[in-house]
Amino acid sequence: MEERWRIRLEVEELYAEYAACLDGDRLEHWPELFTDECVYKVMPRENFERGFPLALIYCESRGMLRDRAAALRKTSVYAPRSIRHMITGIQLVESAPETVRCEANFAVFETPRGGSTQILSVGRSFDRLERENGTLRFRERICVFDTEMVPGSLVFPL
Amino acid sequence: MIAEPNTWPGVDTSRVPFWVYTDPEVYRREQEAIFRGPFWSYVGLAAEIPKPGDFKRTSIGDASVVLVRDKAGTLRVVANRCAHRGVAFCMQQHGNTRDFTCPYHQWTYDLTGKLIGVPLRKGLKGQGGMPDDFRTDEHNLQQLRVCERHGVIFASFDAQAPPFEDYLGATMLAYFDRVFDGRELRLLGYMRQRIDSNWKLMFENIKDPYHASLLHVFLVTFGLFRADQPSEVRMDESGRHAVLVSRRGEQKPSTDTGEMRSFLPDFKLQDTRLLAPVKEFAGDATVVMQTLWPNLIVQQQSNTLATRQIVTCGPGAFELHWTFFGYADDSDERTQLRLRQANLMGPAGFVSVDDSEMMQISQSGVAGAPSANAVLELGGRDREDTPHMITETAIRGFYQYYRRVMGL
Repeated sequence: MEERWRIRLEVEELYAEYAACLDGDRLEHWPELFTDECVYKVMPRENFERGFPLALIYCESRGMLRDRAAALRKTSVYAPRSIRHMITGIQLVESAPETVRCEANFAVFETPRGGSTQILSVGRSFDRLERENGTLRFRERICVFDTEMVPGSLVFPL
Repeated sequence: MIAEPNTWPGVDTSRVPFWVYTDPEVYRREQEAIFRGPFWSYVGLAAEIPKPGDFKRTSIGDASVVLVRDKAGTLRVVANRCAHRGVAFCMQQHGNTRDFTCPYHQWTYDLTGKLIGVPLRKGLKGQGGMPDDFRTDEHNLQQLRVCERHGVIFASFDAQAPPFEDYLGATMLAYFDRVFDGRELRLLGYMRQRIDSNWKLMFENIKDPYHASLLHVFLVTFGLFRADQPSEVRMDESGRHAVLVSRRGEQKPSTDTGEMRSFLPDFKLQDTRLLAPVKEFAGDATVVMQTLWPNLIVQQQSNTLATRQIVTCGPGAFELHWTFFGYADDSDERTQLRLRQANLMGPAGFVSVDDSEMMQISQSGVAGAPSANAVLELGGRDREDTPHMITETAIRGFYQYYRRVMGL
C-alpha cells in the first residue's frame, strides 16, 4: 500500500483510540496516547486567533496529563455525565513515517446521566504526531474550540 | 410567582429566602436598582483597548454596552443600542473602528456616541425625509459614566455613583491596588462560561471560605487554601465588597485536618511545576479573592491573576467572563507560570469546576422551594471582619447591603 495511505490509516486509528478512550471513561489511559514530552492545550478560538497564550487546559508533559486525569478521579466534584467525541475531516498537512502534522474537526456531546444531550464543544484540533516505540502518539495537541461560551463546565479533556 | 409581596424572613441576614434566586420580579428590580443603580460595574481592562478606535463589546446586567477608546484617547462606554430602532449595532466582540454605523439604516455615531449621520435625512428628490425640526443631537447613543483606576475600567448608568475611591473605601482600595498597582497590564487571554444558576450564588461562592476548605480537595490537599492557615475575611463599611485572604501552607496533616475529609495526604503530582509559585506581592498573603459590587471578582491565587465579570442572563443563569492578565514587565518565565497556574481556574479548572457544578445544583435545589431559606449562621448572625475563615460573615454582609438597595 502507498505509504501515505498507510500513515493516514494509522492517524485515523489514533484518533479513534483517543475518542474511545475518553468516551469510555478510561482516563488513566489517555496520557499514554501522548509522547513523554508533549504539549496539550484546550483554548477558545478567540485566544488562538488573537495570539493570546491562555488555555483552559494546559499540560506541558505526560506527567501533567496524568496529574489531570488523577485530579479528575480524586479531587474534582462534578455531576455524573458522559461525553461522546465525533472526530471527522482529518487532514494530513505534512506526513513522514516518523512525524505527522494533521488537523481534524471535533464535536463533543455531553449527556448528564439520565438527561438530554447538549453540544459541549465544537472546534478543530491542530496536532503533531511522533512515532514512539513504533506507534504514532500525540507530541502536540491543540484543541481550538468555537463554542466560546462553555455551557457549564468542561470537566473532561477534549 | 408569590401572591403576597416578598418579605424577608427575620430581622437579620442569617436567613436568605430562596425566592431571591428564582423570582422574575426580583430579577427585574435587580436590573433597575443594582445594575442601573449608582454603582460602578466592571467593563474591562485598559490593556484590551490600548489604541484610539479600539473597542470591546460587553454587558452590564442585561444591557449590552460598548467600551471604546475615542480619537483623543478618552475611554467611553455607550449603550449598544441604536437611537433609531434599538438595534444592538455592534456585532463584533472587539475591533478597531473610526465610527459606529448601525447596519440596519446606517445611522452613524462618532466614538463618543454622538450621532453624526442619518441617511436620507433630507429626503430624496424632495420627497420624504425627516421633519424639519429633527435634531441629530437629540439622538446620540446613551453615554455611561466611566472611570479608570490603574488600568481597570468601570462604568455606571447612574450620575449619582460616588467617586470610585470612595465607592471602594480605604480597606478595599488597598486590596485592589495590591494587584492593580499602576503597572501596565498584559492581557493573557479569555475564558467564558454560562452557568445555570442565579448570579448572586457566584458572589456568595467567593464570599464563602467555609466551602473552600471542604469542597476543594485540590486546594486543601496541596495547602493552597485551608481552614487551618492564617486567614482573614474583610469588608468595606457597607458590606457590599469583601476580600478573602489566606496564606499558603504545605501538604501535611495537622491536628485540624481530621475535620477535613478532603485532605488527601498521599496524592502526589507527577509534574510539580503547577505548584511552584513565586512570591510577588508584599506581605505574606498568597491568595486574595476580592468581590466588588455589583459584578466583579478579582482573583489572585498564587501567580494566577484574573478578573471575573458576572453577566446576568435571567434569574436562573449568568455568564462568567474571565480575563487573565499579567504585567507588561513580566519575564517569559513569569508569564509561563501564570499560564500554568490557570489550570486551577476557569471552566476546566481543577478548583473552579467544583464551584460551577455546585452553583448549578444549588439552583436546582432552591428552584423547587422558593419559600424555604438558606441558613447562614457560621460565625454568628451579624457581620464583622474576622481573623479566620470559619465564617459566613461576608455573605451576610452582602445581603445586608442587598436588602437596603432592593428595599427588601
